[in-house]
Amino acid sequence: MAKAGTPSALIATTAFQGMAVRQLAARGVAGLPLLVIEHPLGGERPEGIARRAHQALELLASLLPP
Amino acid sequence: MPEPARFLDVDDSPDALLEAFVERGWCDGLPIVPPTEERVRVMLAGADPARSLGPMPPLWRETRLETLGVNAVMAGCRPEYFPVVVAAVEAMLNPEFNLYGVQATTHPVAPLVVVNGGYGREIGLNGGSGCLGPGFRANATIGRALRLILMNVGGGWPGRYDMATQGSPAKFSYCIAENEAASPWGPLVEGDTVTVFGGEAPHNVNDHVSTTASGILTTMAHTAVTLGSNVGWYLAQSQLLIVLGPEHAQSIAGDGLTRADVQRFIYEHARLPLGTLKLGGMWGAQDWPAWMMALRDDDARPPRVPSPDDVLVLVAGGPGKHSSVVPNCCFSRAVSRRIAV
Repeated sequence: MAKAGTPSALIATTAFQGMAVRQLAARGVAGLPLLVIEHPLGGERPEGIARRAHQALELLASLLPP
Repeated sequence: MPEPARFLDVDDSPDALLEAFVERGWCDGLPIVPPTEERVRVMLAGADPARSLGPMPPLWRETRLETLGVNAVMAGCRPEYFPVVVAAVEAMLNPEFNLYGVQATTHPVAPLVVVNGGYGREIGLNGGSGCLGPGFRANATIGRALRLILMNVGGGWPGRYDMATQGSPAKFSYCIAENEAASPWGPLVEGDTVTVFGGEAPHNVNDHVSTTASGILTTMAHTAVTLGSNVGWYLAQSQLLIVLGPEHAQSIAGDGLTRADVQRFIYEHARLPLGTLKLGGMWGAQDWPAWMMALRDDDARPPRVPSPDDVLVLVAGGPGKHSSVVPNCCFSRAVSRRIAV
């Protein structure tokens, strides 16, 4: 998607940050914005998920080009 | 961690060698055979060391025959095992197998290698008593070579790029032959072939009582699906491997059932009520076709694999009333590949 011109970013939790960084490099998109959120995401109740999703969306928007 | 070196000078002692490899993260924690130039050359048996089978995830590094040979030597393989190792790697790199998912997931999946055909028997692969356990060099070292390759070539080191929450003993080594002589239905796949199946460690099926296909297969189906299983949540790629002990297989065949009948029986009976599925597992995150998502009756029993063909049936083991079920990870499909012998 990024290579095709679609603004893109990767979201990973803290536990998977190392994996995410290596995958971006391995796939030739090391410069892609990476948003790291607190681990874990699983086990959150729906209201917690909604709150964290909104927070992540705001942060994501700030990382992507205008 | 130091970068891999082309050559490494190590004191000529088993302890120094093990320390050197452990320090660099190049082994599974067990002692290795030193992969000297000469041993690797013999392992390759004239094959082009530079030939690549393609990039291997999760780090997408080239899978060159030379590096496969190095890891096969380290694992303790005899040179005649190498064609099986190569065929298994080729099978794992098939996109259908989704090796990236298998390597990187939190699920405790390991590629189970099933070998069919005369070549497996010739090199001593065991499909009889204890075949899923220790004691047989071909089984142990081919399986171990593949694990070392997945780590050292693919980069699937536990806790770094193999993100398995707990891992599995099946990740040390997981390779068997089918016991074709004991199968009432012929081999899983004809000819000299490897089949890789992204599965959990085997789940035991104990049935000392049933003397009929109905009884044995009911026990088998009951073992095959649980609320905590991955199988069924991503339906399209869910598969079950049924490893029938020879005595169970004979009882089932004695009632006139074919392999297709066994597949159909398991497909129809390895199910849980919708009301049970709603209690946990991955309820709410399932990837099901529209007709299954439309189910409302808590007594409905939706399938856990897409079709009877997604129940693979083979025969392995020796005397006794045990079989096993190997559930897959639900995002990988079994792939077979001819062994170039």
